Amino acid sequence: MDFELHYSEGQEEFRKEVWTWLEANVPRFDLSSDGAKQSMAARQGAADFRRKLGTKGWLAPNWPKEYGGGGLSLAETIVIDEELSQWDVASTGDLGLSLGAPAIMVWGTEEQKKRFLPPILKGEITTWQCFTEPEAGSDLASLKTRAEWNGSEYVINGQKIFIGSPFPPDYIYTLAVTDPEAPRHRNIGAFIIPAKSPGVTIQPLKLIAGGGRNTIFYDNVRVSPDQLIGGKTDGWRVAQSTLEVEHGGGGRVVARDQVVDDLLAYYKEAKRSGKPLSRDSHIKERLVDLYIQSEIGRLFGLRGYWMRATKTRLVGYEGSQNALHGKKYFVNLATILLEVLGPTALVDDPKWAPLKGNLEYYQRFAACQHQGGTPEIQKVIIARRMGVSRTRETAAAMV
Amino acid sequence: MDLSLNEMEQLVKNTARDFAERECPIEIVRGLDESESGFSPQIWQKMAEMGWAGMILPEKYGGSGASLTALGVLCEELGRAIVPSPLHSSSVLCGLAILEGGTDKQKETLLPAVAAGERILALAFTEAGYGWDAASVHMSATPRNSRFILNGTKVFVHDALVADQILCVARTSQSQNAEDGITLFLVDKQSPGVNCYSLPGFAGEKFCEVSFDKVEVPEANVVGEVGKGWAILQPVLEKGTVVLCAYMVGGCHRIWESTLEYCRTRVQFGVPIGNFQRVQDHVIDIVNALDAARWTTYEALWKIDNGKPEVSKAVSLAKAVTSEAYHQACNSSHEVHAGTGLSKEYHLYLYTKKARTFYHYLGSPSYHRQRLAELLEL
Ligand SMILES: Cc1cc2nc3c(=O)[nH]c(=O)nc-3n(C[C@H](O)[C@H](O)[C@H](O)COP(=O)(O)OP(=O)(O)OC[C@H]3O[C@@H](n4cnc5c(N)ncnc54)[C@H](O)[C@@H]3O)c2cc1C
Repeated sequence: MDFELHYSEGQEEFRKEVWTWLEANVPRFDLSSDGAKQSMAARQGAADFRRKLGTKGWLAPNWPKEYGGGGLSLAETIVIDEELSQWDVASTGDLGLSLGAPAIMVWGTEEQKKRFLPPILKGEITTWQCFTEPEAGSDLASLKTRAEWNGSEYVINGQKIFIGSPFPPDYIYTLAVTDPEAPRHRNIGAFIIPAKSPGVTIQPLKLIAGGGRNTIFYDNVRVSPDQLIGGKTDGWRVAQSTLEVEHGGGGRVVARDQVVDDLLAYYKEAKRSGKPLSRDSHIKERLVDLYIQSEIGRLFGLRGYWMRATKTRLVGYEGSQNALHGKKYFVNLATILLEVLGPTALVDDPKWAPLKGNLEYYQRFAACQHQGGTPEIQKVIIARRMGVSRTRETAAAMV
Repeated sequence: MDLSLNEMEQLVKNTARDFAERECPIEIVRGLDESESGFSPQIWQKMAEMGWAGMILPEKYGGSGASLTALGVLCEELGRAIVPSPLHSSSVLCGLAILEGGTDKQKETLLPAVAAGERILALAFTEAGYGWDAASVHMSATPRNSRFILNGTKVFVHDALVADQILCVARTSQSQNAEDGITLFLVDKQSPGVNCYSLPGFAGEKFCEVSFDKVEVPEANVVGEVGKGWAILQPVLEKGTVVLCAYMVGGCHRIWESTLEYCRTRVQFGVPIGNFQRVQDHVIDIVNALDAARWTTYEALWKIDNGKPEVSKAVSLAKAVTSEAYHQACNSSHEVHAGTGLSKEYHLYLYTKKARTFYHYLGSPSYHRQRLAELLEL
């Protein structure tokens, strides 16, 4: 076993190249982790940067070149990830890249891969994932959006909710019922639709966190059959290839949480009621606990990354386990921030907000751990994958 | 033994619930939350007309001399509907401090106005190193001629935006014992050198930075003896803490009700989500938190009203439990509500903000645990 990554001389040379390039190209403005607070200029800058990365092939470094990837090795991919993590460019924000592309890769025709993957992997377009409906959240399979075949096209009607990102979409990746007579899970199709199609209306939602979410209405949206990904009723399985990644199956190689280090440093310096905060043993214990949880999260991320990169199959619950850990972690983190920072944890004011500011976001983000499935649903999946549930289930196809 | 409300308390409860439903439904709370001052003079006026601003002040100062328990019952209902008002700052913290330490003249001029809701007071205690004990008071006040000059910054002051006067806790002398040398000053907010702005963020109160730049305060505005302010403040802070707890119990109660309602009406996989044991676990966490908060709070109120021993212990117990209970109840409720809970068109986030804001107000769970440790001689 070896927990360390090793690099050849050539790879270390490559690291220098990456570093030099990033130094010259990373946009220098504050990209708030809170999407709702990002300025238009910042978003544009992030989108431009995503495109530049994509043009170099570094957005999807180890994907094949013919589909817009970088054709690089795993080691080089990790080098890029590591170097990127040194910069504050967290959210170049395209779900299409992380979620849509893998499903197209598994399920798309050769023609579809050639058509949709390059613009996604080169960072030229933004894709939104439109699964959830008002009555179909955890129970996604009960979705009601209807795609009716009229002989030459599909005509889509329905409503989606909690969709999007602060970046306006070029394409939307959606699920709709193609065969209402067919049984559950075998009645759905997956479509990729230009966001500007007539009949698509996007209405912003007012949420306390998770900026840029919308309700989307489909009113007789016409979709040509070559925009159906997979077979007419393969949509559920197509979606599983996306959800497998979203449920944490993707993993991360650099998942050390900077906030924890900042918080530990703060604790050593700060005073509370005139006394060093470090004399508060209750807070000390809580911080050690946070440190432990963040290390477990880092290792779960590392394991997921290794599994995906080396196509190693373990039991199959690992992705959801990682997701569940992260969700609990962020709820806990918000409480600990509140305990350690006092009411300044709630403040979004440069004068009083501690550390690097912007931590107030975590208080809202704690309530926002439902994307890609609630904690309870992750537990349902873990139980099924371990074989201790009435329903047995194996991991979906994933790249 | 009788753990039920008496007739008068029950009447207060019913009246308050009707009032909140009629005068301050959640849409109004949301609107106020988004407004600059967070304050509705109309609602406050009506609350004062109900006699609530003077409820615990003596009759001779225009109040009705009710028990702290009765006020707790009222505040629980206000907290359930999260009715925003300066009641707690003005009548409880500042009103009681003046009653406790003020001269007859101060009481005669100030308290009737406070009881009528015509004058609003806010307590400026906490500073940059945020803490609620005497050692946390650093801001200085120096005598000059027959005045004091106040210099320094108070932060996280509740209700300062709408207050007419600030009861400012400052240090007039240094000594070994942090409790000595603290003096209370009643400062007109309009005085030259006083500045106040509310801090933006995820807060359920318009809490403010209030800065004092060479502010002159006449001697006549000192409340109590110079240097002896802590003795006045300490029991007042304890009473204020338990009344705040009652407000938070009301919040927990509403969260529990809403969560139950959502469990019964939200359907996934063909059944109400309350059928899922994992969801039930969250509701159970909420009700456990609620009941722990309720009973520790009401026992503390009862102990204060009846002059029972070990009030301090009961107060710290109640605040440690209730701060965590409200926080836990909101977190669990968010788990149950998933996406819906994030919507600004739904009410949960308003409670979540309150819970997080009151978590530290008048002492965090950690502060009260340490106090309990001392009281338990650990
Ligand atoms: C910020 C944010 C961003 C999002 N982005 C997207 C997006 O880009 N695209 C998209 O398609 N969707 C998106 N979503 C939607 C997200 O996937 C759903 O919110 C999530 O799946 C939960 O659905 P729900 O909110 O309807 O909750 P519900 O399904 O109604 O759940 C309510 C409660 O019931 C519990 N529950 C439900 N079923 C079970 C069960 N079988 N066993 C135990 N407990 C159960 C849940 O765990 C939860 O506690 C986003 C959501 C948020 C909050």
